Amino acid sequence: MISRCQQGDQEALKEIFDKYHKRVYRIAYGVVRHREEALDIVQEVFIKLFRSIKNFKGKSQFYTYLYRMVMNTAIDHSRKIGKQFISSLDAEGSFEPSEEIEKGPEKTLLQKELEEKVKWAMEKLPGEQRAALLFREVEGLSYQEMADAMGCSIGTVMSRLHYGRKRMQELLKDYVGPHGQTSGPSNPIKGEGIR
Amino acid sequence: MKDSCLSISELLEKYFDQEVTEGEKHLVENHLQNCPSCRDTLTSLEGLKSLIKAPVEKAAQEEDFPWVWQKIKREIQPQEKQGRWPSLRFWLVPSPLLKKKVWVPAVATAVLLMALTTQVIFKKTPSYSDASVVKYVESQTHHIMVYESENAKMTMIWLFDEGDQESSKS
Repeated sequence: MISRCQQGDQEALKEIFDKYHKRVYRIAYGVVRHREEALDIVQEVFIKLFRSIKNFKGKSQFYTYLYRMVMNTAIDHSRKIGKQFISSLDAEGSFEPSEEIEKGPEKTLLQKELEEKVKWAMEKLPGEQRAALLFREVEGLSYQEMADAMGCSIGTVMSRLHYGRKRMQELLKDYVGPHGQTSGPSNPIKGEGIR
Repeated sequence: MKDSCLSISELLEKYFDQEVTEGEKHLVENHLQNCPSCRDTLTSLEGLKSLIKAPVEKAAQEEDFPWVWQKIKREIQPQEKQGRWPSLRFWLVPSPLLKKKVWVPAVATAVLLMALTTQVIFKKTPSYSDASVVKYVESQTHHIMVYESENAKMTMIWLFDEGDQESSKS
């Protein structure tokens, strides 16, 4: 499939797309947290792949090569769109729900607000830590697979995961862990805890 | 945090990520049975994972991807064709102007102009070069001049009166 694609076979690319498009979308969505942007990234990644797959020498697993391409493209997009999709924050950095959130029914409102809060927290992380968290928590890659995809050692992967988690727990302290789950009804968002 | 927690904390994330050896796994699990603080830490890790993963999974399930492939296909197709036949395609593929039927009135106008121009250029101008004076007779009252064309198909006779009144018969 990959060697056929390297020879310019579009049907082979279709097979690769069928096999990997959801994984590519999950990583892309995990980084930008925006549907249209994530779909644009999926499209861009597979076009890039078709044009550059000749450079894949087979030294690593194909999916780690693809994951690296997705992550780089997604982080580039994230930088380009800049503040366009960044959650609204006041000067102190506390979270304020967007207009779209305020329109929905209460349960949807709470879910959307929580999602926006997670998005806001993810955007606070350096790209490498964000990538490490998404590879591990969303895609379930092993440390070795992550090291291949990120082009670093296993020790570096563990370090990025550790500091990424620590920072996220600080930013989402009201939502994560036993205290977040059991918070009183004074703040209904906090009371939602883990889903 | 107990001293034993410090030694386990390094393993706790590896345990959560299922990257520990069998020996390390037993060590962590024995510790967790007697340590609520480390169990809380583990619960926090699980909670964070859910927060990151759940919306992504939900978004991926709701998405419809076939049209994305159609867009990708459209993007990669022209590149391949252009690479093989760039110059030939340039000459073979009619321009968008020709695809529309604007050429019909344009060609009709050109044909009409050509026909008119040809008529003007090749139209025989009346010439009497092939006519010549055959006879000229003078009398006291009248003067007569006879013209005859070279092919003798036409003869013209002028009769001049005294007062230079001209008449002709053919």
